[in-house]
Amino acid sequence: MSTVDLTQELSVIEGKPPLRELDDLISKPIDAKASKKFYIALTISGSMLSLLVIGLGLTFYYGIGMWGNNIPVGWAFDITNFVFWVGIGHAGTLISAILFLLRQKWRTGIARFAEGMTIFAVMTAGLFPLIHVGRPWLAAYLFPYPNQHSIWVNFDSPLLWDVFAVSTYFIVSLIFWYVGLIPDFATLRERTNHKIKKITYSIFGLGWRFSNKHWQHYEMVYLILAGFATPLVLSVHTIVSFDFAVSILPGWHATIFPPYFVAGAVFSGFAMVQNVLIIVRKVFNYEHIITLDTLEKMNKIMLLTGSMVGYAYAMEFFIAWYSGLPIERFTFINRAFGPYAWAYWIMISCNVISPQLFWSRKIRRTIPVMFVIAIFVNIGMWFERFVIIVSSLSRDFLPSSWHLFVPTYTDFMILIGSFGFFFTWLLLFAKALPVVSMAEVKATVTGSQPSHGGH
Amino acid sequence: MSGKILYSYTGIFDTPDQIIHAAEKAVEEGYTKYDVNTPYPVHGMDKAMKLKPSKLGYFALVFGLSGTLSALLTIWWMSAINYPIVIGGKPLFSFPAYVPIMFEVTVLSAAIMTVVVMLFFFFKLPNNSHPLHGTVYMKKVSADKYGISIQADDPKFSESSVRKFLEGVHAAEIIPIYWDEEEINHQNKIFEPKFIVFLAAVALITSGVTYFSFNKLMYMVPFNWMMDQPKLSAQQQSPIFADGFGMRLPVAGTVARGYMLYQFTGQPDSAGKTLVNPIPVSKESLALGKTKFDIYCSPCHGYNADGASRLRGQFPNPPSLHSDKVRTWTDGRIFAVITEGQNIMPSYSSQLSVDERWAVINYIRALQRALNAKESDVQ
Amino acid sequence: MSSSSVEYHKKELPSKVRTIGTTLFAAGLIIVALGYVTDPVRSAYNNIVGLTFLISVGVGSLFLLALEYVAGAVWSTPFRRVTEFLAANIYIIPLLAIPLLLNVNTVFHWTHPESADKTMINKAPYLNVTFFIVRVVVFWLLWLGFYYFISRNSVKQDTSHDQSLSKLNIKLSTIFIPIFAITISFAAIDWLMSLSPKWFSTIFGVYYFSGTVLAALAAGTIFIVLLNEKGYFVKGLSSDHYYSLGALLFAFTNFWAYIAFSQYLLIWYANLPEETIWFIARWQGSWKFISIGLVFVHFVIPYFGLLSQPSKMNPKRLLAMSGWLLFAHYYDLYWMTMPNYGKDGVVLGWIELGFPLLIAGLIMLVFNFKAKSQNLVPIGDPKLKRGIDFRL
Repeated sequence: MSTVDLTQELSVIEGKPPLRELDDLISKPIDAKASKKFYIALTISGSMLSLLVIGLGLTFYYGIGMWGNNIPVGWAFDITNFVFWVGIGHAGTLISAILFLLRQKWRTGIARFAEGMTIFAVMTAGLFPLIHVGRPWLAAYLFPYPNQHSIWVNFDSPLLWDVFAVSTYFIVSLIFWYVGLIPDFATLRERTNHKIKKITYSIFGLGWRFSNKHWQHYEMVYLILAGFATPLVLSVHTIVSFDFAVSILPGWHATIFPPYFVAGAVFSGFAMVQNVLIIVRKVFNYEHIITLDTLEKMNKIMLLTGSMVGYAYAMEFFIAWYSGLPIERFTFINRAFGPYAWAYWIMISCNVISPQLFWSRKIRRTIPVMFVIAIFVNIGMWFERFVIIVSSLSRDFLPSSWHLFVPTYTDFMILIGSFGFFFTWLLLFAKALPVVSMAEVKATVTGSQPSHGGH
Repeated sequence: MSGKILYSYTGIFDTPDQIIHAAEKAVEEGYTKYDVNTPYPVHGMDKAMKLKPSKLGYFALVFGLSGTLSALLTIWWMSAINYPIVIGGKPLFSFPAYVPIMFEVTVLSAAIMTVVVMLFFFFKLPNNSHPLHGTVYMKKVSADKYGISIQADDPKFSESSVRKFLEGVHAAEIIPIYWDEEEINHQNKIFEPKFIVFLAAVALITSGVTYFSFNKLMYMVPFNWMMDQPKLSAQQQSPIFADGFGMRLPVAGTVARGYMLYQFTGQPDSAGKTLVNPIPVSKESLALGKTKFDIYCSPCHGYNADGASRLRGQFPNPPSLHSDKVRTWTDGRIFAVITEGQNIMPSYSSQLSVDERWAVINYIRALQRALNAKESDVQ
Repeated sequence: MSSSSVEYHKKELPSKVRTIGTTLFAAGLIIVALGYVTDPVRSAYNNIVGLTFLISVGVGSLFLLALEYVAGAVWSTPFRRVTEFLAANIYIIPLLAIPLLLNVNTVFHWTHPESADKTMINKAPYLNVTFFIVRVVVFWLLWLGFYYFISRNSVKQDTSHDQSLSKLNIKLSTIFIPIFAITISFAAIDWLMSLSPKWFSTIFGVYYFSGTVLAALAAGTIFIVLLNEKGYFVKGLSSDHYYSLGALLFAFTNFWAYIAFSQYLLIWYANLPEETIWFIARWQGSWKFISIGLVFVHFVIPYFGLLSQPSKMNPKRLLAMSGWLLFAHYYDLYWMTMPNYGKDGVVLGWIELGFPLLIAGLIMLVFNFKAKSQNLVPIGDPKLKRGIDFRL
């Protein structure tokens, strides 16, 4: 299909499957017994998760001195991982909310899964501020409640804004996800004959009746939620960027940080969603629902956001030079040619150069290549945060306090473990819930809507 | 069959065009209590059913704005009224810094409340006991069919006319739906012993878990509350040093910051000759002197330094400081007494710093002068 | 059903477009000329406001055009010509740029080598007159080149109905978008940021971009709504088309606010003297009220004006809000530029009236000129049929 007829709208779902077949296909992984592959995957992610448990155990027992952080590099892997995982979450909301507002129908096949990834990614991200507190059981002090010290939290601090932003983001994503799931729970409730399953689905389906009097409000609420989630998703990574940008540290304090972080978040999120979806569509036989066209569109978005990130790198560099200030200039020269130059060039080659391959239509439509590029993007985006955080901190204002950061084995255990945490949740989700929205996919199949638009 | 109560008559259709047509016809016929059930929202159904536009947008707006406002007021009260504290040189009420939180709270309250209003107030969910549940009709409309259900309590309802209507719009299947008998004869089961036992068990477990976590768990490893610290306390042994003492002497010749050696130990007279009060008499030094005098000296010497002890004979009364002897002493001589003590009076060098001692002396001089005022002082 | 041919009969624009355009242009020209005679420095600053506004409308429209091709949007195809006609304003950019290039020494203080300190010497490789003029010319030629080819292909398609022309334009647009991002950022740095030569902000290009898109959208919306209400488009546009326009205006209003707030908050919070000078200059004397007013003019009023669903579909509201947003963008540019001239307080007089009139007239005349020679609807576009039938 090298020629596209512009007079015709591309159909989102390949072919014209009967609706009941779609239901069967989507609910198959839930109804069928888990395959061997599933257990192998679960074992792998579970063992990664156990690394996290050990790493956290060491951290809590001996304190965060187990990490490589030391003054002046007081922030390192912990916040790098935090920003990385929050960023991963952004693609989900982008797909489910922004593309919904833009009426991009190709999102239907991937929205549910991406939303799920949002929730798990935010959960993973939330671990890091908590464990960096050192005594996470005291984390309740992060919230402004009338406590025994009779003082309040610091509302001027971007770290507190983070508490609000991330928890709001998690709750709203969860609501959005659940609202989307209600009709599917109801469909599953009607399909199953298993008693416990039926009760469970009845509870979560809330007794949804597919009434059109309900659908009308439901669509409105979906629109409203999308309308709120869109600025919300921007605000979350904006506030994460404020953690750095409100400071006066050269390399952190740049006004472009908010949109630049958001673009980077979407970029890495799409890469992660794409990686996971390529596997999911293969394992669950969803090739007709998550089509090659959808993957190609995701690649285009990765190209776009990757170039935006590249623009920000270049603009930061240029303005550092343009400012004419020695300290700004030094910071960026140091980034590119200093002790962390290797990390910087990994970041540039993975984030800016590798997605440029997507200019070629052929590469955009070749699954193994895009899979590899997406992995590169994930690596690059992790290193982006590492470069920003560590390279700036390691060069303090006084050269006598310069100090390089060296990670410890606990740092790596927690980093690898966070992937285990994320993928364990994801696997359980794929087994327990429909990973594609049945109601939405059905609504986009050719012939599922009235032919004359109902007047 | 005969005992059942009819809830509605339903028709099932195969295509979205048919259901739109059926809905339009139902409106034309004047049915009011009817519903259309489809597995996904069918475009144009709002118009066909002549539904009014959803009002939920207003709820979102109201809840959102009240979220903004309450966030602003809360933050303002907490950081500018209740516990004002300057942070980073910013004003107590620094509005730009509050915008992020105001925005988050807006979104949070609007999102939660809109969904709550929709699900629980508009739809009156959860409702798993609706007559349509558990029917063949529901099974079909949840998967791939489109259904219309015309309720028996509609004023225009009659079995024959509705059946005719459904046949007229070419329903593929017509199914009557009945109320579930069990549900009609439903009885409140709150006072069943099983339920009460269940409640009691829940209460017991909840309180037990709460007690355990807050009173026991939180004081176990690794929740050490920083009580266990790898440092040495006073008098502890330490294997690092050969003599086994944890406490160490400072390096020979070390002088603490601000420490001045007192040179006149045991020589009060030479102190009286050599030392000169470096603190000039001022309001501040007198105030400091009075404070310190009242705390450390007045218990024995009395507030007026006249020897009016408050110790009621439990300790020998010292002589008055207004004696000629003391009045003619130099400041340095008194300093020697405070620093080293005299007779039964102990040294006050650990309670009063050097400057404070001189301030106390200034104050004593003021007291002495007050009791022996000359005429010239009146002016 | 699938045939792309749409019946279209060309309708000439009323002659009053030309009359009003000429009148505004003439009035503006007289005021500008008088201004340049009486107060050349002040006029030069006003010229910058006018020039950047024209770049916003012209180049911004070209960006929207490219965006339609790249995104494969169908809903905007029926009125794409309006955007094309507005992009034609790129032709007349030199008309406003040349007087400034002649006056480059009066407005740009970095041109005075005698006032240079170490920081300014560090910047000299970028901020010098030769390189400045090279940039201005190169940027303009780039914009012009892309406009020329994209619009030529689009017009050609009217007769040939050739889909490959659309595909060619998609390619051109794809190349244009990164070029646009770079040129518009550096144009913003050159024309606006370098007015206070020591100040710097990495987000500035994005800030100007957000205003640019908003201005181009608003200008387009005015023409689209007016023409559609008079029945110039095939079959007329539905409320869904209006809704999409309104939603975009609303979205970019928010985007502007987001970028503006980010810039302000970060500079306010860090409180570094080399950055705060810019905002302090806009807080002197009566500028304070202009600064506070910006929040309302550019955000609060259009936000609530376009918030509800019905207001995005209402042609009158759309018209009012688009006009307001054009004003807001001019206000924004004025706020960025003029405090460099009137350091103690607001400068507002008859001189400030010249450029808005001149530009309004120019835009109308260019539109009228283009509308005479070309169809108002891209009748050969393969997406046209789908665009007309577009429903949300």
